[in-house]
Amino acid sequence: MAEDLVLDTAIRDWVLIPLSVVMVLIGILRYFVSKLMRSSQVPDPKIVKEGQVIVRARNLRAAANFIPPKSFLSRRVYFSNEENGLLFVPKGQTQNAQAQMFSDPNMAMDMMKKNLSMIIPQTLTFAWVNFFFSGFVAAKIPFPLTQRFRSMLQNGIDLSTVDVSYVSSRSWYFLNLFGLRGLFSLILGEENATDDTQRMMQMSGFGFDPSKSLGAEKDGLDIVQHEWALPKFEHRAEAVLKKLIR
Amino acid sequence: MTGHSDSSSSEKKSNEEMNDVPVFSAENMQNNMKVIYYSRTFMSIIGGVIAGILGFTGFMGFVFYFLVMTITSIGLIAKAKFSVHLYVDSWNRIILDGFMGGLMSFVLFWTFAYDIVHIF
Repeated sequence: MAEDLVLDTAIRDWVLIPLSVVMVLIGILRYFVSKLMRSSQVPDPKIVKEGQVIVRARNLRAAANFIPPKSFLSRRVYFSNEENGLLFVPKGQTQNAQAQMFSDPNMAMDMMKKNLSMIIPQTLTFAWVNFFFSGFVAAKIPFPLTQRFRSMLQNGIDLSTVDVSYVSSRSWYFLNLFGLRGLFSLILGEENATDDTQRMMQMSGFGFDPSKSLGAEKDGLDIVQHEWALPKFEHRAEAVLKKLIR
Repeated sequence: MTGHSDSSSSEKKSNEEMNDVPVFSAENMQNNMKVIYYSRTFMSIIGGVIAGILGFTGFMGFVFYFLVMTITSIGLIAKAKFSVHLYVDSWNRIILDGFMGGLMSFVLFWTFAYDIVHIF
């Protein structure tokens, strides 16, 4: 049945717009709260040192072609030497850093706080939406969906013959949840705590930082083939200067 | 939206050297990718509102979304003065990056505008 329902203007005024406005405001609020609550953790000197070594090795790998072959090789040996090279970590020590990171109370507290600050506003808003705005048709989505989505999108509406395009406010909430991420990235700048996928990537890259990346850097450094680019620069400088003179 | 107009005018050159060995300034390239992302998000929001006001339904709306994304790509390429390899490291980045990311925002604003104009 594809009849067009005519919906009350009051629904638009009192459901759609307030819900969107509330979600935007809660997002902004969460961003500022997470900024304020970010506890300044004293970084562990050992981890910082390892991080700096990784950065050095990475720079060496990136700029390898600008230094003469002999100095590149000597630097590479310094890093990946079996006995006292900086990047070589014996197998026994690799487990330690990870276990230490997870048992460290500060770090665990931080992760818990970040998780909670994401989940609690979402849960509260969802409960609020369910309590106040259930049992009526809230919006019409402009594209047709199959019947299987009916239970998901129309949960408050008990008529089974209404077109699936007419959805309840719960689905408007979910639509807002996903769609406002783009808007937040525009208004709040890059670093906003509202994007779950970014958060999860941060989480997963956290625990393995020292042990695995050292090995990875060492492998990367071993792979690099040195090709000294400097002789070509003279030709390029000559070409540029010739153009200037003309 | 002042941040948007600023960043679009300062797309930095990330590949200065015309050697055989291409060198990329990582920081500039990251800035360029950010600019591309912002542009696509903004255009998908605007496109959503337009699609809703014009009353597109169903398949036409998604076709319109791809149209908007293509226009954004063309605009970005024109802004880079057609020498794309100076600004990003491969063609795919400027054309395909963030294509699907704006879809949810597009659908949200499309639904919103469509409902406000046509249903209520």
